Amino acid sequence: MKVVGARLPRYDGVGHVTGRTTYVDDVRLPGMLHAAALRSPHHNARITRLDAGAAEAMAGVHAVITHADVPLLVYGHLSGGGIPGDEPLLAKDHVRYRGQPVALVAADTVDIARAACAAIKVDYEELPALLDVRLAFDDGAPVVNDTFGNWYDQYEGNLDVRQIRKGDIEEAFGAADLIVSGVYRTQSQEQVPLETQVCVAIPEPDGRLTIHTCTQAMYFSLGVVCSHLQMPMSEVKMVGGTVGGGFGGKVDTASDPLTALAAQKSGRPVKWRWSREEEMLASGNRGPWHMEIIDAVSRDGWILGRKMLTIHDAGAYGRFSVYGVTKHSFHHTGAYTIPNLHFDGYVVFTNRVPTTAMRGYGITGLATAIEIHAERVARELGMDPYEFRLKNANRVNDTSPNRIAYEDPSTVEVLQSLASATGSELSEELRAMSRDERSGDMLPDHLVAQIGSGGH
Amino acid sequence: MALHRGKGVATIEYPTGMNQNGDPSQAWIKVKPDGRVDVFSGTSDIGNGSKTVQSQIVAETLGVPYDWITYDNSNTDSSPMCTGTFASRATFVAGNAVLKAARQVRERILAVAARELEIDPEDLEVADGAVSVKGTPAKSMGVDEVAGAATFVHGELLTGDGAHLNPGAAIVDPETGEVDKPPHAAISYAACAATVEVDDETGDVRVLKLTQAYDIGRAMNPTLVEGQIEGGAVMGLGFGVLETCYPYYPSAEHRGDGMNTYHVPTMSELPDIDNVLIENPSEGGPYGAKGIGEMANNAQPAAIANAIYDAVGVWVTEFPITPERVLDALDAKRAGGGEPRREGRVVAFDEELSINRVSSTRTWGP
Repeated sequence: MKVVGARLPRYDGVGHVTGRTTYVDDVRLPGMLHAAALRSPHHNARITRLDAGAAEAMAGVHAVITHADVPLLVYGHLSGGGIPGDEPLLAKDHVRYRGQPVALVAADTVDIARAACAAIKVDYEELPALLDVRLAFDDGAPVVNDTFGNWYDQYEGNLDVRQIRKGDIEEAFGAADLIVSGVYRTQSQEQVPLETQVCVAIPEPDGRLTIHTCTQAMYFSLGVVCSHLQMPMSEVKMVGGTVGGGFGGKVDTASDPLTALAAQKSGRPVKWRWSREEEMLASGNRGPWHMEIIDAVSRDGWILGRKMLTIHDAGAYGRFSVYGVTKHSFHHTGAYTIPNLHFDGYVVFTNRVPTTAMRGYGITGLATAIEIHAERVARELGMDPYEFRLKNANRVNDTSPNRIAYEDPSTVEVLQSLASATGSELSEELRAMSRDERSGDMLPDHLVAQIGSGGH
Repeated sequence: MALHRGKGVATIEYPTGMNQNGDPSQAWIKVKPDGRVDVFSGTSDIGNGSKTVQSQIVAETLGVPYDWITYDNSNTDSSPMCTGTFASRATFVAGNAVLKAARQVRERILAVAARELEIDPEDLEVADGAVSVKGTPAKSMGVDEVAGAATFVHGELLTGDGAHLNPGAAIVDPETGEVDKPPHAAISYAACAATVEVDDETGDVRVLKLTQAYDIGRAMNPTLVEGQIEGGAVMGLGFGVLETCYPYYPSAEHRGDGMNTYHVPTMSELPDIDNVLIENPSEGGPYGAKGIGEMANNAQPAAIANAIYDAVGVWVTEFPITPERVLDALDAKRAGGGEPRREGRVVAFDEELSINRVSSTRTWGP
């Protein structure tokens, strides 16, 4: 191969490092308006009055968009996958998190748009907020989500928990020499793209809309826009493909549908560029995860079984969280083979900014928990951390939590390479290990059933 | 006051493509009369380098120089459907779409060249921008000449289209989580070793070195892969010891609203980073590739936490591992606490964080 595997320069690198790449914010058009959002100041409140009259009457204001202007107010990120939508594009009679958009104003300048936002009269009746996922199940807890309650309850139609059950967990715990439990709580992280959320929407003379988008997923976002606006895909042209950083946060299509509505209503091109403060405080970020792991372990260093409870703090609305927890459940053994499993995963809603995709979605916190836990178990056993990991590492034809055979696991090889690169001495036995199907000492009794059944 | 050094490791796996699959990508390609190649794909480049990698796949498959490729992902009118750039899918899934499109174009180039050279297309090969007869390299014609002949002699357009879809995997048993087919396009693997220095007076953690080994099937462009690995390492470092949207979680107050109040790693926090690339080509990826983008920030946080334990003998399992949390743990240890509950064969860490201690209704555990 000549081209694949070569250290060729980035296709668009020169433009990026010389500032000549055209990003969405570089798009400027004659007559272009600028948008600003009115956002909820409360974590949880009823809207008792919403009056945009004064804002609409202001000089330089060309459109005020509220919930009444949205053809399809509620459309879920996972609606295509049969998971009901729960999040209104603009709040109607209730705000569920601080920063939730209530209205969008398009005006001659950003300053006028912001002043008009301030002139919109909203009366709120503030309600207690739920912020701790561990309290979501309690009687009397504030109810966060209209559609699902305080935790998602429609897995495969009617389950309120994403479950994995494999092998015989009670037997594993009965046979254990050691039972090690730990609790891991990972945090919310902001994607921090250099380019904040931004959109330019242009109403074309033929009735179409052109949308300059910063999305990571043009066709997904096309679908989101067309759903909210109830238009066929032929009527909207998404222009993008060159994104100033996303890291997952720009799958959300946070700015396109509202900017499009403002362009339609005003008949003018509209730009909506979020400030850094809005990006930090109101855009979807990585969600916090609460994870409790209990491993049943044998004295000679085998993980016989794992019980795990995961509570994902989704924020106020579902977005991709159900997907995230399902992915998390599929990978909750990490790079190890554990034949007996009992996993419960919940998507819990709290009155904070809805969380969304971020690099490592569903896994970053999980990998963190699993690998600290592995270290603790190894140390409790008095075992070398490499040895414990190499021993339990997945091998060809071992099966995943949902019973899929691993085709080409490289856990053994990456650990051996890491030991070699860091000058960590591995015993001859550990150096001789490979990804190959388990046999001999590497096929202890507790794994025989799994391998024997062919895994599938 | 003393500085303590420690080392820790972590190993991870990460799926390529959307969980449960079912995420299509499509591409089409046309060749200009001078043999230059236009690729149309709907894959957004978010800095991950998908324009570069997909162009490489097309150039390699067609046997033309990389700089003959023009890549257009600029809009949904001219580019076909791509589910998007997330889930580490742009190289594997969208890359397979352009690979299939390029194979079609290659066949058409060979078919036209076969007519021009009056030889069976199966006896032809294409490399370095020229079609030549296998075993008789002197008998050849440039791809530019082939494209010219297609356009002006044969009245044909050299074009191709491709689509890739790993079929959706369904959960066939919601009780057990069993699926009916693989829920990923591939799985990549990595391991990370961290060296840290902990200040036992301030609680400050400095990450001095990260060494990382990755098997991603095939490094399509090693420079870009190293960029993902090193950029990911820094993001993982930020997750490990610096960044949080909610400094007093679960409270939603005191959020950082700018670059001076939300702490991403800066140059002053960057450790030495060593990379090891391992290539075990995947079964179904273009030229054996697997995904790299999303896994690159996952191994560092635990490796750092484990290194902190190695350095000062405390576990911190609430993230990020701030100086305050390190000091609290050190204080507890000095006061004779911080140990797990040991009872018979049970070793229970972190019980104070469990839902069992906080919720009035939920209990969970063995």
